[in-house]
Amino acid sequence: MNILETKGLYHDFKGLKVLFDINLEIKKGERHAIIGPNGAGKTTLFNLITGTYVPKKGRVFFKGKDVTGSQPEELVRQGMGRSFQITSIFSKLTAFQNIRIGILSKRGIRFNIFQYVDDMEDITRETEELLRQINLYDVRDVPAGILSYGQQRSLEIGMALATDPELVMLDEPSAGMSKEEIYYAVELIRKLTENKTVVIIEHDMDVVFSLADRITVLHQGAILASGPPQEIRENQAVKDAYLGEAEE
Amino acid sequence: MLALLPHIVGVYFVNVFVHFAIFALYAVSFNLLLGYTGLFSFGHAMFFGVGGFATALALVHIKGLPILAALFLGFFASVVLALVLCPIMARVSGTAFAMLHLAFSMLIYTLALKLRNITNGEDGISGFPIPPLNIPGVISFDMKDSTNFYYFAMVVIGLSLWFLWFLTKTPFGQLMVSIRDNAKRVAYMGFKVPQTKALIYVISGGFAGIAGSVLALFQNVIAPDLALGPGTSFQVILITMVGGVGSFFGPIWGSAIFTILHEFTSRYIKEVEMLMGAILIVVMLYFPRGFAGVLELIRKKVFG
Repeated sequence: MNILETKGLYHDFKGLKVLFDINLEIKKGERHAIIGPNGAGKTTLFNLITGTYVPKKGRVFFKGKDVTGSQPEELVRQGMGRSFQITSIFSKLTAFQNIRIGILSKRGIRFNIFQYVDDMEDITRETEELLRQINLYDVRDVPAGILSYGQQRSLEIGMALATDPELVMLDEPSAGMSKEEIYYAVELIRKLTENKTVVIIEHDMDVVFSLADRITVLHQGAILASGPPQEIRENQAVKDAYLGEAEE
Repeated sequence: MLALLPHIVGVYFVNVFVHFAIFALYAVSFNLLLGYTGLFSFGHAMFFGVGGFATALALVHIKGLPILAALFLGFFASVVLALVLCPIMARVSGTAFAMLHLAFSMLIYTLALKLRNITNGEDGISGFPIPPLNIPGVISFDMKDSTNFYYFAMVVIGLSLWFLWFLTKTPFGQLMVSIRDNAKRVAYMGFKVPQTKALIYVISGGFAGIAGSVLALFQNVIAPDLALGPGTSFQVILITMVGGVGSFFGPIWGSAIFTILHEFTSRYIKEVEMLMGAILIVVMLYFPRGFAGVLELIRKKVFG
């Protein structure tokens, strides 16, 4: 079953065409990488799927339901999580509070004005568990804004996962990381997304080929190729457009 | 100690204290928007003033209205105003939020000046009856008595402040500070940002209304320039900034500083706001976290 599908997605910004006729099929449980050169439209595609923008044409289906034009919070509640390429955390709140807001959301606690949040033991326990998994337990009470860059990226991924989504959309989780940090981030993603469907935008080819079950190559706003890693590696059009340059 | 205050100091200082408490509540309600949710309003006085006017008008026109009902009507009027405005205000932030408040508060201020047959124009409403606080069949407190009113005001304001403090400690309070830090991400965590902001807005407006209502009952007069004008809107900004935006108790400190300064300087100069403005400049330059920030710094230095 396809957990996510797009049909004929098209988008432009004031006449500047960014995406044409994107037909994407993501199967439940797969790890799907979206690659492509800068400006190919990868993040815009993410923004159309996760509710940041309403697509000009085309439809988005999530778990078989038409969700075109839904607000981000509606999609999150239906089980779609997302991280950002440019770190988007609550920088004055502690790492703990950053994760906790996601745990509260997952439990459907939104307008509770009757309980001390610090006294909600289940929430605290779950938050601490996730903090341990992303190796931020030791810095739980440090404001997120003064964590190291690598730690902030881990937090970014942790926040996307805190609402326990079925489908996780990771927008370049390794952006700006050193080789070593990337290795660690990949392990983290692998560990945390077991039994989840993952769509990941990624530039690092090592990450893509080690993590993904299927790859879609985006080039100048259109899908150039889509298939398992081996097939993509050998695809001549992809080599010409993208991989060739990267290997130089 | 608060309970004993009227027995220690004279009526005059009891009244000074009530004045301080009213502006503390007004500033804390303002800081719910500014400090906790990151929404800067240039017109918070409209909630303060509308609360005061509603209470005064109710007491003028409704014979035998109990004092708590008058207070509730002040709260209710401000809540209604906030409900009317929140569909717009919850969808904007930053400069638009600030300027829209300036616009709406000036509109209401002008209306209060022009609708003379209702509000008495510049003079405002005064001399309305202050009903006693009745607990039927048990006891009746004369609210024109300063000491009695002091206790009444302390209970009302104390409970309000406690409720607002509690609010900041709940999951909803977490949502407020998250919106301040990064509203976009809050939506991606699964929360409806405009609706959340609307609720905060209504709560903030309502409690400013309670503060205004207590002011009307306290002074037995309410006038546009006392509670509704731009001066009152800027006063609360001064109080909150000087006291400290980053802390719940900051605005309360700010109100204390403002009240004390007022007491010491009003004999010599007329515009205490000018002095506060000068202090604000110093605060902004050297202590951006206000008086509460300075206290925190001292606490860390002294106690490690």
